[in-house]
Amino acid sequence: MAYEYQAVHALDGTIGAIAEQRTNHLSVHRMTAVAMVLAAPGQTAEAAGILVSNGEFEARFSGPGEWLVLSEVHAPETLAAELSVRLGDFAFVVDQSHGRVVLTLSGRDAARILANGIAVDLHADAFPIGRAANVLCSHLSVNLARTGNESFDLVVMRSFAEALVDDLKVMARSHDLSVDFATR
Amino acid sequence: MTAYRLASGGLVDRSHAVRFSFDGKSLTGHAGDTLASALLANDTLLVARSFKYHRPRGVVTAGPSEPNGLVTVGSGARRDPNTKATVAELYDGLEARSQNRWPSLAYDVGAVNNLMSRFLSAGFYYKTFMWPAAFWEKVYEPLIRRAAGLGRTDLPRDPDSYEKSWAYCDLLVVGSGPTGLSAALVAARSGLRVILAEQDFVLGGALLSETTPIGGEPTYVFARRVVEELQNSPNVTLLPRTTVFGWYDDNVFGAVERVQKDVAVVDAAKPVERMWRIVAKHAILATGAEERPLVFGGNDRPGILTASAVSTYANRFGVAAGKSVIVFTNGASGYRTARDLAAQGVEIAALIDSRMASGDVAPTGVRLLHGSSIVDTKGRYRVRAVVADRGGFEELIACDAVAMSGGWSPVIHLACQRGGKPVWSEALQAFMAPDVGAGLVMAGAAAGHYRLSECFDDGARKASAIVEALGRPAAGLERTAIGEEADPSFTALWHVPGAKSKAFVDFQNDVHTKDLGLAVREGFGHVEHAKRYTTGGMATDQGKLGNINAIGILAGMRGVSPADVGTTTFRPFYTPVSFGALAGTSIGEHAMPTRRSPLHGWAARNGAVFIDAGLWYRSSWFPKAGEKTWRESVDREVRNVRENAGLCDVSTLGKIEVFGPDAAEFLNRLYCNPVLKLPVGKARYGLMLREDGMVYDDGTVSRLGDQHFLVTTTTAMAGGVLSHMEFAAQVLWPDLRVRFLSVSDQWAQMSIAGPKARTILQAVVEDDISGAAFPFLAAREVRLKGNLKARLFRISFSGELAYELAVPAGHGEAVADALMRAGATHGICAYGVETLNVLRLEKGHVTHAELDGRVTPDDAGLGRMMGSGKPDFIGKRLSTRFGLTAADRMHLVGLKSMEVEKDMRAGAHLLKDGAKPSTINDQGWVSSTCFSPTLGGHIALAFLKSGRERYGEKIVVWDQLRGVETFAEVCDPVFVDPENTKLMA
Amino acid sequence: MASLISCPHCGTRPKEEFLIRGDATPVRPAPMAAEEAWHDYAHLRANPRGRIREHWQHVAGCRRWLVVERDNFTHEVFGVTDAAKAGEGAR
Ligand SMILES: [Zn+2]
Repeated sequence: MAYEYQAVHALDGTIGAIAEQRTNHLSVHRMTAVAMVLAAPGQTAEAAGILVSNGEFEARFSGPGEWLVLSEVHAPETLAAELSVRLGDFAFVVDQSHGRVVLTLSGRDAARILANGIAVDLHADAFPIGRAANVLCSHLSVNLARTGNESFDLVVMRSFAEALVDDLKVMARSHDLSVDFATR
Repeated sequence: MTAYRLASGGLVDRSHAVRFSFDGKSLTGHAGDTLASALLANDTLLVARSFKYHRPRGVVTAGPSEPNGLVTVGSGARRDPNTKATVAELYDGLEARSQNRWPSLAYDVGAVNNLMSRFLSAGFYYKTFMWPAAFWEKVYEPLIRRAAGLGRTDLPRDPDSYEKSWAYCDLLVVGSGPTGLSAALVAARSGLRVILAEQDFVLGGALLSETTPIGGEPTYVFARRVVEELQNSPNVTLLPRTTVFGWYDDNVFGAVERVQKDVAVVDAAKPVERMWRIVAKHAILATGAEERPLVFGGNDRPGILTASAVSTYANRFGVAAGKSVIVFTNGASGYRTARDLAAQGVEIAALIDSRMASGDVAPTGVRLLHGSSIVDTKGRYRVRAVVADRGGFEELIACDAVAMSGGWSPVIHLACQRGGKPVWSEALQAFMAPDVGAGLVMAGAAAGHYRLSECFDDGARKASAIVEALGRPAAGLERTAIGEEADPSFTALWHVPGAKSKAFVDFQNDVHTKDLGLAVREGFGHVEHAKRYTTGGMATDQGKLGNINAIGILAGMRGVSPADVGTTTFRPFYTPVSFGALAGTSIGEHAMPTRRSPLHGWAARNGAVFIDAGLWYRSSWFPKAGEKTWRESVDREVRNVRENAGLCDVSTLGKIEVFGPDAAEFLNRLYCNPVLKLPVGKARYGLMLREDGMVYDDGTVSRLGDQHFLVTTTTAMAGGVLSHMEFAAQVLWPDLRVRFLSVSDQWAQMSIAGPKARTILQAVVEDDISGAAFPFLAAREVRLKGNLKARLFRISFSGELAYELAVPAGHGEAVADALMRAGATHGICAYGVETLNVLRLEKGHVTHAELDGRVTPDDAGLGRMMGSGKPDFIGKRLSTRFGLTAADRMHLVGLKSMEVEKDMRAGAHLLKDGAKPSTINDQGWVSSTCFSPTLGGHIALAFLKSGRERYGEKIVVWDQLRGVETFAEVCDPVFVDPENTKLMA
Repeated sequence: MASLISCPHCGTRPKEEFLIRGDATPVRPAPMAAEEAWHDYAHLRANPRGRIREHWQHVAGCRRWLVVERDNFTHEVFGVTDAAKAGEGAR
């Protein structure tokens, strides 16, 4: 008997094929590694110092002393280990690569679409590139990050991923939106 | 033909004909018309029947405060009752129907109420429908419901969709007249983020019906140019067709945008209305002023409109309200309307001025009557003549329309929606908005600055102040020469004495002056009492037009100033808002999010029947071919688990990882049982209490490292327990060095239970999991064959030899498939939550059916778990209080039905054998029941007074709801394997 | 009730993002304090009008427990503090 455990993505089988990307596009990441970092009590500044985003990973604010760290470079299995080594006693690291689903919404109307479910001022002056926060999107809590003038990342709990994509489609009803898995 | 479309003039597109229908009759209007202006242009004055007396009514205004012109637009599921014709944008194919009439608008049976009106006085409902009480339900209420209510809605589901949006701005400007446009322009040029909301479908407000030139141009041309500049400003959002209906805490405004209310065929993919929640640093209310009707005998006949409405229909829509118009005024505004009509060649039959004298000049050739008034009107479906009183001398003057002007009231509703009371201005004879702070200011006519030049200046000035308050330099506006301005002055006239017929104050609810007199005489003269007693101001228009006159009349009758009468309370919504817009997208499957287990695909492949469990979608049972009922499937699954093995998805359990030097201490205080000395690699059952000593939740605690724990919660309480832990860590004991995180979604978790569980699991797990290597309550990381890290816990809910295996969520389905393959030869089956429930019930394990918030650990038979030696834990102190330790508390017991055919239901009560079925004889209740395939009978868990001392007693299970009584034997709640031999195998 | 709450960690958010627990003034008694003190703590709450302190949790955001000081009549919010910090002041 062969033991191979093919990973299933939370959104496998729920997203139809598209002919082309529309004005606005929701891209579902397959491979992004995710870890949660919890600063050890009293070590928030130290942990934050080590988590300054580099080419390997990006740390996003989740709460005081808590960050969601994303990496397109590290594999899910190695990101948490790598962070543990770097952070040492300053923080606890928990692999969440399977627990979260990462989506990127981009396009001319991205901020306008999000305003149909998120009560945060997304004007570029108020929510600039690089800013991240946990917000309520429709009924769900997501980590929202601005990654470009017209692009945002949404990180959601795996079990809610399908509900979030459904909600985003409804939020984009007045706009042009396509949804697909990211190519990489 | 009397009302008609003028040969020229107006902003409607005469080259663009628009077809519509009213009560089935096909009519034509123009693009740019409202339904009301198009009806007037077609000489359709009679548009409605009044609410109480069913009197013929026509439109009175040209705006959102319209009390009469309510029609039903559309049909079937898309029918919108109570649509204001004065606001509804005309579109090709619009179908409108009149309301509150039967069988037709002209021949309305309900009009008999008008003849019976002396029996329908104020307080009628209160006096008539007093008793007997039983009559309410059967007679009065159906009667009132049939007679009352304006408009009808339909039951089919609304086929349209709606949307909700958040918006943020430095300045929200409400209203796009001269004040709003100048305010928006200053703010826009100064770089502020501006939202300009206008309820009309064209921006410009009063500038669309003004005749005075600005800078030598018509005002609407000026307005168009300003709108164009605003449109081209990237920092400005223009929202036409948007009514700002509410002002809420923290300067949040509610607004409804009519997105597709101007089309006959709705694009179903897009919303018809959009609800905006606008967070504004500042807001300017440039909502203008409302012209008051005059209260005189017969003032409600079709063809009697406010003077400003007559001007608007003429100037903006190119429609004359009549061929021969009487103007009745108490101030200068009536003269302006007379001039507007004269300029269009409309005959003015007379200009009746209630003042004894004035400096206002009537158009040449117009008969001017000072010190005069109207005391009655003639005509059936429209006004044909008025009875004028000239200092005691009555004269019948023929006409086909009356323009009435009773003075002006600033539109202040929004500013008064958060508790601020309007302030009476003696100088303006009007209620003004109170000072409500810097977040919201009134400007222009809404602030009592009625003249055009004052509006421009005030809007600009108030916007400049806001720009500077936000720390920016304010941009200027170029000055433009304004022609002759309308004079807004008037002498208050709350009602015309000597009315010869009903003089209506509130048109929509048919409240006339005599009703108010009755209210005062019967002791209901307080403005809030008079409102309820007469129903004045309680209709869908909420008295926008009539309230001010009612207050003036009450003041006169009580001999006080309107300031002493005050106003009724202003509340959202300014105009009615559809339920669809309020619900937004939160309907149907979008009302609540659905959670999917990582093993959902596995369960579906194995034929699961799913059930909603909270937000989760869980596998309930797995029917096999030939099984006809769920019981057949569940009985088979239970037997199979007890004889062979089964696999169940338990991923929905809450999972929280706890870290830190004080993690053990923290958990020791959180659970009532000791946790401090739990060895690494071991799991323990854990019970959390509330501070009042009752059980809150149960689950397991596993120690994965010295400073690293994993706790599980029940599915139902996963969110609550996390919040509870966060409260304990952040508020109760912030000094404890502990951190935790919900990892529920990271792991797919499956229970493998049954005598063959180990054999099956060992085929997949690399590590040795023999009884010696992995004893009961072992909990640690293992490696699966194929090199996948997993967490394995030897815990059991079923009483069988059982494990819970957790793997990273994405691998869950593959691992479950592998276990099913490995177990095939050992007879493994998939089982769902129904079987899970039977297994735990047979073993006497509690769930939230038992732990309902009234149960102590001892009640549940878990008293021995309490770590009474611990210095502190949540619930410790109050768990020893009087009453919680009483001997006659209800104890968890098992029940076995003594009647083969009879099952028991949760919620049934327990009685002593022979006791009369009554709550006085109540001995306890049943919390969970099932058919036990293992025991071959119906069993239950129940709470029974002193139950642990009553094993063997015959008791009655009394199900009053179904009228069933069943004999049962009280027993130990652990029905199977009380010695735990299977568990420890 | 306020429409918006300014979380010290996340910024201004709508009230829908928060869970409200209630009165923040009762302090958990010492473990062996008199039963009366525990009874008060667990069961008794005043319902004053005016300025109050409440525990709100930013559940959809940073998940921190906050002390919101507000007027339950005028709905004015005077301040929002992280509960752990607010507790330091009280101790
Ligand atoms: Zn927060």
